[in-house]
Amino acid sequence: MPMPTFKIDGKEVPYEDGDTILMAAYRAGIDIPYYCWHPGLSVAANCRMCLVEILPPPGRPAMMLDVLELDKDKGEYVVVRKPKLQPACQVPVTPNLEVLSETSPHVARARHAVQEFLLLNHPVDCPICDQAGECKLQDYWLEHMRTSKRMHEEIIHKPKGVSFGPTIVYDAERCIVCTRCVRFCSEVVKDPVLSKRERGNLGEIIVAPGRQLDHAYTLMTEHVCPVGALTSKDFRFKARVWFLRSAPTICQGCATGCNAWLDFDPRYQKVYRHRPRDNKNVNQYWMCDEGMLSYAAVSENRVASARVDGKKTTVERGVSMTAASIKDVPKGKVAVLLSAQHSNEDNFALVTAAKQLGFDNLYVTGKAPGKGDDVLRHPDKNPNTAGVTLVAGSSPKPFGDLLCDIDSGSITHVLALGSAVPVEEAAAVQALKRLSFLAVVGVWDGPLAKAATVLIPACSWAEGEGTFVNAKGMAQRSAKAIQPVDDARPAWETILRIVEATGETMPFKKLKDIQSAMPAPAEKAPEKKAEEPSQAGEASASN
Amino acid sequence: MEPLDLEVDDSSLELPSDPMQLMMGPSHPAMHGTVRIVLDLSGETVLKADVQIGYLHRGFEKSCERGTWNQVFPYVDRCNYSSPMLNNVGYALAVEKLCGLTVPERCQYYRVIMGELARIADHLVCNAAMAMELGAFTPFLWWTRAREMIYDIFEEETGARVTHSFARIGGMADPPNKHFKDAVRAALPKVLAANAEGVSLLQNNRIFMDRTMGVSPISAADAIALSWTGPCLRSAGVPYDVRKASPYLVYDRFDFDVPVGTTGDNYDRFMVRVEEITQSARIIEQALDQMPDDGPVNVDDPRFVFPDKDDVYTTIEATIRHFKIVMEGVPVPKGEAYGYTEAANGELGFYIVSDGSGTPYRVRIRPPSFAIVGGLSKLITGQMIPDIIPTFGSLNMIGGECDH
Amino acid sequence: MAKKLLDILQERFGASVILETHSHVGDDTAVIAPEHWREVALFLRDDPRCKMSMLVDLCGVDRFDQLPRLEVVAHLHSIELNHRLRIKTRIGDEACNDAVVASLVPVWAGANWFERETFDMFGIRFDGHPDLRRILLYPEFVGHPLRKDYPATKTQPLVPYREGDDVLGKLAPFREDEGLSFGRKHLDYVKEDQ
Repeated sequence: MPMPTFKIDGKEVPYEDGDTILMAAYRAGIDIPYYCWHPGLSVAANCRMCLVEILPPPGRPAMMLDVLELDKDKGEYVVVRKPKLQPACQVPVTPNLEVLSETSPHVARARHAVQEFLLLNHPVDCPICDQAGECKLQDYWLEHMRTSKRMHEEIIHKPKGVSFGPTIVYDAERCIVCTRCVRFCSEVVKDPVLSKRERGNLGEIIVAPGRQLDHAYTLMTEHVCPVGALTSKDFRFKARVWFLRSAPTICQGCATGCNAWLDFDPRYQKVYRHRPRDNKNVNQYWMCDEGMLSYAAVSENRVASARVDGKKTTVERGVSMTAASIKDVPKGKVAVLLSAQHSNEDNFALVTAAKQLGFDNLYVTGKAPGKGDDVLRHPDKNPNTAGVTLVAGSSPKPFGDLLCDIDSGSITHVLALGSAVPVEEAAAVQALKRLSFLAVVGVWDGPLAKAATVLIPACSWAEGEGTFVNAKGMAQRSAKAIQPVDDARPAWETILRIVEATGETMPFKKLKDIQSAMPAPAEKAPEKKAEEPSQAGEASASN
Repeated sequence: MEPLDLEVDDSSLELPSDPMQLMMGPSHPAMHGTVRIVLDLSGETVLKADVQIGYLHRGFEKSCERGTWNQVFPYVDRCNYSSPMLNNVGYALAVEKLCGLTVPERCQYYRVIMGELARIADHLVCNAAMAMELGAFTPFLWWTRAREMIYDIFEEETGARVTHSFARIGGMADPPNKHFKDAVRAALPKVLAANAEGVSLLQNNRIFMDRTMGVSPISAADAIALSWTGPCLRSAGVPYDVRKASPYLVYDRFDFDVPVGTTGDNYDRFMVRVEEITQSARIIEQALDQMPDDGPVNVDDPRFVFPDKDDVYTTIEATIRHFKIVMEGVPVPKGEAYGYTEAANGELGFYIVSDGSGTPYRVRIRPPSFAIVGGLSKLITGQMIPDIIPTFGSLNMIGGECDH
Repeated sequence: MAKKLLDILQERFGASVILETHSHVGDDTAVIAPEHWREVALFLRDDPRCKMSMLVDLCGVDRFDQLPRLEVVAHLHSIELNHRLRIKTRIGDEACNDAVVASLVPVWAGANWFERETFDMFGIRFDGHPDLRRILLYPEFVGHPLRKDYPATKTQPLVPYREGDDVLGKLAPFREDEGLSFGRKHLDYVKEDQ
């Protein structure tokens, strides 16, 4: 059955039951400007930017208002009748509704007026404001206002640079009091720590007395803020957004697998921040603070170059030493350690390598579990636990078992992928050092790297394409953002080279070969297509 | 004394003779702006000529795709660096065509006057260089001095003698100075006098005439087939001038003639340029009389033109406006356009493709001298080496434009 | 006056040859099927109603997000009748293979250098061109720079760098995207073979 439609500017727009005009327009990619509305939050209708003209049903008169307008010829104010405009974010769509947005001169004037009021007391902060380049005030000025300031008085001054908590700074002068941050905290996080104080010109956002903005999703308040009022201490003054490019990646913080945009500067190949990417089925519109700040892992604590017995060397030497060391060892004594922090491609390459070389003992490592909640965070802090099980065919044995097997002497050589271990670090290092040989292809300096005989640097998730399966069993692809750092090469490539150095061959040469060969997760119920606006790209609802 | 070889019969001598290959350029005083001509010679006669350009190729078109629309102006300046104002105006008009903007009248007259001054400067230096290469140093010095007067005017107006980057999309960077008209009116007669005086030395000079008359002629049909435009085409007898055929700016309000040659030889090309200087001066005089003394120079569209700097520092709206124009570029609507003007060398065209953003998708410059130098090999084949010098000089190849 | 040209073309050749027409901002444009490129050009030059005696310009455009990818754009002008036309044709697949079209040198002698330049910058081959070689770049140059996937900062060492000379270290740390093409943040031209 075809979807019911209504008209915006004469164009038929489909809508779902319960949609407001703005929601239906947003889905169809039609631009109705808004500040306070957000698809993931309740409707506040306080900014009045989305006002549209709704034609009366046939046979009914339009609701008209008497307004005063300056008659230029007479030089005095006269009463004029204008249709009452309504906020599109609030009006539910009914059958045969006809809305005028761009074709109505009243709407154009209303948008101009609202924009003018919003900018009336706005500080001239663009040169120092982080939001410049992704600021709705700038974009809507250009689209809907285009005139200069009519007020010649000093603007109202309010507190600037107020620290709300460990992560967020608030600037009341830039704030348009849209209350997106207030609604986010109370509706999504269920922690109503922010609220609005005063009214009119003096309106500003405050933190509840005696508290700080310190829940687990504070950076989302910065993300939903359409202007530069809320800025993150982590990102402020670090980079200008027009120099940044965005790669669609998957957050590596936990098994939820939130979709993210990783923003990097291609000139210096440096990663600057995460932003959430909308995905109705995984993370809706949000990400947690831990995940948002996990972008820093791309540049922190990395293994810069290959090491043999603690001494720096070339990747070639590392590869050849590894190949030589595992070649003629009794197969039952060799363990292969997969990593829940690495992509399906990396793990599948290692699983295939194990098959080629005849090693049957598969184990898995990753980070230790942490705190979860019912909003987004998952206690499993590894992005690809389910993926490892998928590509290995069955659940590999846990890391604890590996330590036992090393203790008992049944495992003497280990070919490992990964960096972190889920047990206490010092104990793990001590146990691993008992091995005759430990080759680690890893990204970060951790217990595995410390105990390694041969350590070969691998690319992090940001430096190569990878597939990660989240706790719900969905396989998601993360794109490449920057070029490999220092001597790092993609882990799957290193594994291929190790196998080839032993004399065996691998059935693939390139990443796409691995991707077509590796197993895909079982078909689940058809996914609802993510509600992204038709003008794709990296604009998320909150911008 | 009797000639020594009286007894020798030339026809009985079988001297082996292959064509000699001579590389002329790229580093050569007469190869204006680096061009190399690989000549196959039989004695002094050119049997085959392969003109190799590209020594000044700087990736202009690729560089345009990496900035904003207004950031192209310094690039176009450096294309035809003898008459940069004409390049500025040509590019601005092409983009304004795509945007659907018409600049105010005062700006149109301003652009015309500055453009015609640039044209005079270009023709002066082209003729001067051509004459100097034939040995006539004096006109070079006189005409370069005359060009300095024009450069002084440019310096007063734009701040730079040569690479002004003065036009903008939607107008000019600054309005004309208070004494602009007086300065031009004062300089123009002196420039014309210098032109006339220099020409008087060359016009009926035996050496000059022998070296340029009848040398490298071209027929009208050949010139058109070779895509020639400008003074080179007009010297062949084709009265095609973009300012008359498809008038732009306010050219349709002026009374001026288009000098046309007959045989398309070097002499005609030289004289066409000389006469064009006089015609340009006529245009300038009329424009100065007609140009309004006040009024806006920029179009009244906040998306294209900067606000006052005072407002930028004190109001948020002006800051945003400034920010959008600088950081994002002016919003040229999606589509393509070909804007063409009569530059000093001929039809200067800009084919621009926009994807709707502030960065150009493709900026193609159609350099008039590219097509003209394409015909050079045809012109010099069969001529002698010394003929190459005035021929090449009369074509007015500007390396920056030809190689872009 | 101007509309007539497009009508004449459509009447003479029909929709299988004249694929699209428009007159955006007053520039008459016709998209020609590549097999009929020279035929249409000859007609435009010789037909007494068109009389396009001059080929004003011929260039290429890389329409990275469309297929066929490369466009050859020619601007024509009639000195006698004072009208203009833009004709284009689209060739080449995603990787710019099979970008071949007939040369217009037999129609207008001036096409010679314009086609050489288009070949130089885009790699479009012109069938029947008497001397198709690079014109603006040196013969040993590798690649076709005006294609969108040719990084603007790519270096081409012709002469090996001297020993000990840190030439690459002295280059500005700019990569393909210099950062000012603000409007096209989401387009990723340089695809890598991973």
